[in-house]
Amino acid sequence: MNTFELSVVTPEAAVLDVEATYVTLPAHDGAIGFLRDRAPLLVKLDVGLLRAETPDGQRLLYVDGGFAEMVDNRLTVLTEDAKDPSDIDRAEAEARLAEAQGKLATDPVAMANRDKAVRRARVQARLGS
Amino acid sequence: MANRRVLVKRRNSTRNIRKITRTMQLIATARFQAAFSRAVAGKPYTEKLAQLVGGLARAAEGLEHPLMQTHDEVHREALVVLTSDRGLCGGYNANVLRLVMEHLDARAAAGVETLVTMIGGKGISNFAFRGRELAEAITGIGDAPRFDQVEPIANRLMDDYTSGEIGALWVAYMKFISAGKQAPVVEKILPLSYEAAAGEEPASPVDYEFSPSPEELLDELLPATVRVQLFQAFTDAAVSEQVSRMVAMKAATDAAEDMIKRLTMQYNRARQTQVTMELLDIVGGANALA
Repeated sequence: MNTFELSVVTPEAAVLDVEATYVTLPAHDGAIGFLRDRAPLLVKLDVGLLRAETPDGQRLLYVDGGFAEMVDNRLTVLTEDAKDPSDIDRAEAEARLAEAQGKLATDPVAMANRDKAVRRARVQARLGS
Repeated sequence: MANRRVLVKRRNSTRNIRKITRTMQLIATARFQAAFSRAVAGKPYTEKLAQLVGGLARAAEGLEHPLMQTHDEVHREALVVLTSDRGLCGGYNANVLRLVMEHLDARAAAGVETLVTMIGGKGISNFAFRGRELAEAITGIGDAPRFDQVEPIANRLMDDYTSGEIGALWVAYMKFISAGKQAPVVEKILPLSYEAAAGEEPASPVDYEFSPSPEELLDELLPATVRVQLFQAFTDAAVSEQVSRMVAMKAATDAAEDMIKRLTMQYNRARQTQVTMELLDIVGGANALA
């Protein structure tokens, strides 16, 4: 099998450690796919869905930005939050989206924070159930 | 010897205390193990992050970032102090706070004002008692700190740092060295030092493809490093707190045991004395009749 190692780690725990045949990640500039023997890469991630094809079936994971590193057939995803999409509450995410959109931001830092909150809530609302 | 009943009462209450402290010791042991495995679970993230920063710093040929710049002209600093919400954990809070006081006095002597962010009810009441001011007081983090609890604190302090509000960021907490040893420390988080961020040189540097550029990646990686450093202080403190409580409650249980032994001995002696007295009475009475 043409598999490579995939591990997803957060500051709190190692969320996932599996063999995968194909992985797609939400990179900062669009989705990116990984196969075995990909050249070493370091990429910034966006908020979104990680999709991994493993010999035991498909695994889905919501990742909250971060980074991915591919070296020697080892794909490491560093993210500050990762969870199963089925654990996301859509109604709650929509409430947070509305709250974030209604927030007044006057300086660049607050604006960046608000944009991030909006994007995060929007993706969660889409993925949640 | 009328105090027999008093002795029994005291012994019973000591037994009850022993029961409570032993239970607390067992709870602390279980919590310690949970907190310890949480602290260990976070290590891969930290190590990988340091490794990436190291690799990037080499690719970007040196590191320059607002978080690494020193602000010598700013005479104000921030200090995050981690104490516990609950007591009965021996010298845990007292040791951290003693070090904090030394640090604050030393910084004040150097003409630097320190804004204290206090985590934990014990530290807050200690500062209120001393009449010291707090910039911010936070409670309810508990013994399983979550990243999303720490993240906003770190982000706010980083914003203060980059905007020049504060010239340095320190964190004071009980560092967990081993199950037998914890030490209170005051560590500097900002300005970020290259060694703290990048870790050790790897054996074989990898020729990466970067997306976006190494400089832009560093812009994201360094704040992440600061956040995770602060988070690690929180998890470390949580582990140390449980160890301290475990040790304190073990000592209390042992002390209660000693006291029960002593009280039992006193009780037996009192009882024996009374028996002897009664016998003497009977013998004396019989002799008088004979």
